[in-house]
Amino acid sequence: MNLLEKAVDVINNMGASSLLPLTVVFLSLCFGVKPGKAIRSGLMIGAGFVGINLIVEMMNSQLGTAAAKMSERFGLNLRVVDLGWQGASPMAWASWLSAIAIPLAILVNIVMLGMKLTRTVNIDLWNIWHMTFTGALAYTVTGKLWIGILGVAFHAAIVYKLGDLWAPFIGGYFELTGLTVPHGTASYMAPVACLTDWIIEKIPGIRDINFSIDQLQEKAGVLAEPIVIGGIMGTAIGLLAGDRPDDAFMLGIQMSAVMVLMPQIVKCIMEGLLPLSERAKKILSKRFGNGEFYIGLDPAVLLGDSQVVTAGLLFIPITLLIAMILPGNQVLPFGDLATISFFIAIAVAVHRGNLFRTLISGSLIMTMTLWITNQTIPWVTALAKSTGALSGDGLAAAMDQGGSPITYIFVELFQRDNLAGLLIISGIYIVCLAVSVKYSRAEKARGEDEEL
Amino acid sequence: MLKKKVIAACGGAVATSTIAANKIVELCKKNGIDVEICQIRISEIESNLEGTDLIVTTSRIKRDYGIPYVNGMAFISGIGEEATEAKILEVLKQ
Repeated sequence: MNLLEKAVDVINNMGASSLLPLTVVFLSLCFGVKPGKAIRSGLMIGAGFVGINLIVEMMNSQLGTAAAKMSERFGLNLRVVDLGWQGASPMAWASWLSAIAIPLAILVNIVMLGMKLTRTVNIDLWNIWHMTFTGALAYTVTGKLWIGILGVAFHAAIVYKLGDLWAPFIGGYFELTGLTVPHGTASYMAPVACLTDWIIEKIPGIRDINFSIDQLQEKAGVLAEPIVIGGIMGTAIGLLAGDRPDDAFMLGIQMSAVMVLMPQIVKCIMEGLLPLSERAKKILSKRFGNGEFYIGLDPAVLLGDSQVVTAGLLFIPITLLIAMILPGNQVLPFGDLATISFFIAIAVAVHRGNLFRTLISGSLIMTMTLWITNQTIPWVTALAKSTGALSGDGLAAAMDQGGSPITYIFVELFQRDNLAGLLIISGIYIVCLAVSVKYSRAEKARGEDEEL
Repeated sequence: MLKKKVIAACGGAVATSTIAANKIVELCKKNGIDVEICQIRISEIESNLEGTDLIVTTSRIKRDYGIPYVNGMAFISGIGEEATEAKILEVLKQ
């Protein structure tokens, strides 16, 4: 056994979730963070991991059981609960690949900037979890370290390119000039919107339909809040599962609790990463902070747009409907429901706020996401088990990043257990990408025309 | 001075609002302002308005909640942070 393998072995035995805290303490110290603050950051991340494991366990045992009973009664197949990005990101951070992923993702960015392969400067350290997830999934499935590392780099390189691609839309529709969103979900799903838009433009009559709704959030009131969504879904699924009303209500309260507590817990991980990410941000923006570059940020900056908000709300019931009618679907959308806007935010810009088109492309995006999420269930389950988020014989799924075409294509390239799926999804995605390049160029030219 | 309540909101109440919340806390500490941060999702703002002195979001919101509002995007991008800090202080020092 060589030294690297030995090191890997020690780290594996140490337990995945204690590794990132140690790495963060070490990296923070290297970047000049004070020791006390660095140690606090590391412990904060550890606290986040412990908390999220408790929540995921509860979510799966309570909601998972009820969903299985409901499916049985109605001949549905929705047995696997979607953990959402709040469940998936801690898994990525807890995999020991995360220790390599943060410096690697930054390195890939700097190399690509140096070689003028991208103009996107990613200062959003948090969302490196998406890249890590792809790598961690590939590593868990294949057991080969180099494939995991390659996965992180592959995902990073593509997402920076997508950052370039979407910058004209972020600067155009969202009027955030000089910014972009190199994000594992928002950027990855938007090519579907470009293809949809291109097709709609070809159909007389349909292409003239245009409407938008501004005040849906005000009308929806508390219904739009995650705590209420959790309560309603929990109670409804409990009742549909044939539970007694008081038991169903109890499930509703538990799911409200999940919705409220999850961000609180995941926030610990974010807080722990903060001193490090602030340092990295300073260094990167000092070096690349002028007009030639796009600053890569979290898609949160897009979510205030009223059409994005409206679409995000409409897609809660639509996604549930798709989950029910999609043949063979086993995934019950839950964890990502409150933040479906991440999947469709850039689509809104591609369609210039035309809600009719967003509804169509968003439905396609969520269909594709669910379709892929189903295929990655065994992989995500294996990853969840290896990071301690899941015990026993439960199954796990995550629409955010478990449903990503790039993540799926990369892992499947090495796994090759569903060649037809690989070919179909790659084929569709490549066509989407080709149309997206065309769209991005047109949008960029439009933006430059307006400036003149 | 009374304790000030500031809402720091973003899409998921995790990533960018944490950055904004931390900056606001540091800023207030430096300026001797007693502050309480309420870190939530944008969709939850309406239910948390009571007693709020200032709303900061990391994305642009068009809706008017009838409470002073400062856009906190600069905290995320690092561009124009000082101007944003000045705006926040102006509201909180009243």
